Amino acid sequence: MNHNQQSNDGKHDDDSALSDFLASLMDYTPTIPDELVEHYLAKSGFQCPDVRLIRLVAVATQKFVADVASDSLQHCKARQAAVVKDKRDKQQKDKRLILTMDDLSKSLREYGVNVKQQEYFADSPSTGMDPASRDE
Amino acid sequence: MSGVESTKDMRKGEDVPGSSLGIPKADDFGRSVSKIAVAQICESVGYQGYKESALEALADISIRYLCDLGKNASFHANLAGRTECNVFDIRLALEDLGDSHGFPGASEIGNCLVGSGIVKEIVQFVDTKEEIPFAQPVPRFPVVRSGKLIPSFEHMNETPPGKHIPSWLPAFPDPHTYNHTPMWNERASDPCADKIEQARQRRKAERALLRLQQRLVCNGSTGTCASSVLDAKTENIQEAGSNPFLSAPLQQGEKDVSEVVLPAKLSNEVSKGDHISLLDAFVPAIDAMKTGPSDRLDGEKTFLPEKRPSVQFKFKTGKKILGESLDLSLQRKGERSSTFLLPDDERDDKKKRAEFILRQTTEYPMELNQS
Repeated sequence: MNHNQQSNDGKHDDDSALSDFLASLMDYTPTIPDELVEHYLAKSGFQCPDVRLIRLVAVATQKFVADVASDSLQHCKARQAAVVKDKRDKQQKDKRLILTMDDLSKSLREYGVNVKQQEYFADSPSTGMDPASRDE
Repeated sequence: MSGVESTKDMRKGEDVPGSSLGIPKADDFGRSVSKIAVAQICESVGYQGYKESALEALADISIRYLCDLGKNASFHANLAGRTECNVFDIRLALEDLGDSHGFPGASEIGNCLVGSGIVKEIVQFVDTKEEIPFAQPVPRFPVVRSGKLIPSFEHMNETPPGKHIPSWLPAFPDPHTYNHTPMWNERASDPCADKIEQARQRRKAERALLRLQQRLVCNGSTGTCASSVLDAKTENIQEAGSNPFLSAPLQQGEKDVSEVVLPAKLSNEVSKGDHISLLDAFVPAIDAMKTGPSDRLDGEKTFLPEKRPSVQFKFKTGKKILGESLDLSLQRKGERSSTFLLPDDERDDKKKRAEFILRQTTEYPMELNQS
């Protein structure tokens, strides 16, 4: 009985917490617009008339993108710090933080997304080989 | 967005498919809107610029994440026997997507919603992060156009031909759209009346042409022509009451025909401006003509003006020159006299001709280049 009461109280608390959370969601305007989210959710079969759930999904996606971006920012800053140690001249040039494919692919690997790109494109099969072997 | 730039990717081979190239795809609008949203998020994180390809990749991944969330949520809802998703479905979907990354409380079961690690993280995110609304208003999309439906039998107030066809089906097309019936020309044709009408219209046209010609000729004459002359002329024609071309030919001497006025270079008087004319070739013939008509020159009033304007033959390609020649011909009719050229003045006139040609070359060099 006690356990039941506790769980009941717990549920009440949880319910209130949930409703508070959803209310707080309505105040927050996510960066991803509602219309866009609705379009893609409708495409994938998600049916819901409640605006709060749309906002929840938008916030979740925003959080995901922000996490990925911040991880790649860390990579970018780490790279710049490493370069600065070697040559102080480059500090001026690399002050700007630019989102590149390299940093993005490194951070996305941790999320299970494989975005690998060709490092270089070769003109012919023998490009880059030793001259001795090329002659053959 | 302030401070955010894009730098072109070094490898052109990976250039954007669809943004700068022609073919528009169905999802272009959604993709471009999500690109803007992702760029705004990156800016809030701290980036000052981005590479085009990197931004496209991130936008694509975020769209996939969104779609995956929706798919998972609807899957969980269907699993529970519902068609509409609720917040628990979303939470389960989030946990599914976050499993690979790991989140606190993943191993616990029987959690309520807010106890879930992921939702806690989201709550934290909402509380700490400042709000960045989307840069521009987005309209509802995709726009659904209501198609034009073919009206049903009920709509057309028709009974369907056949008991097996229900009335709510679209109506059959009208028979005139698929039946080919013979055509009859309803108008009654009267060949006689048509011919009379045709002849009348031809007569009208001829009268108008004649009047126009007389008016042109009148403008160049030295004043023997008056408007009354024209009226008299037209009256004559009208009195005849028939086609002037069908009337009997005049005998010689009945009608006074104006003499051909030779151009200035062939005339006695020196006039300004030379025109190269084909009448040069006919000088002997004209000399022969001289003797006849010159007798009747003096003081006879005729219906038609004495002088016929000289004919200018110019075989140049330039439009300007032709126009000029026309104007000149109209202007200089007043100066022309009825006398004929004597061969003595030819040399002077040749000089003038040469001057005229020179002037033309300097004024209109374009035409010369063309010819």
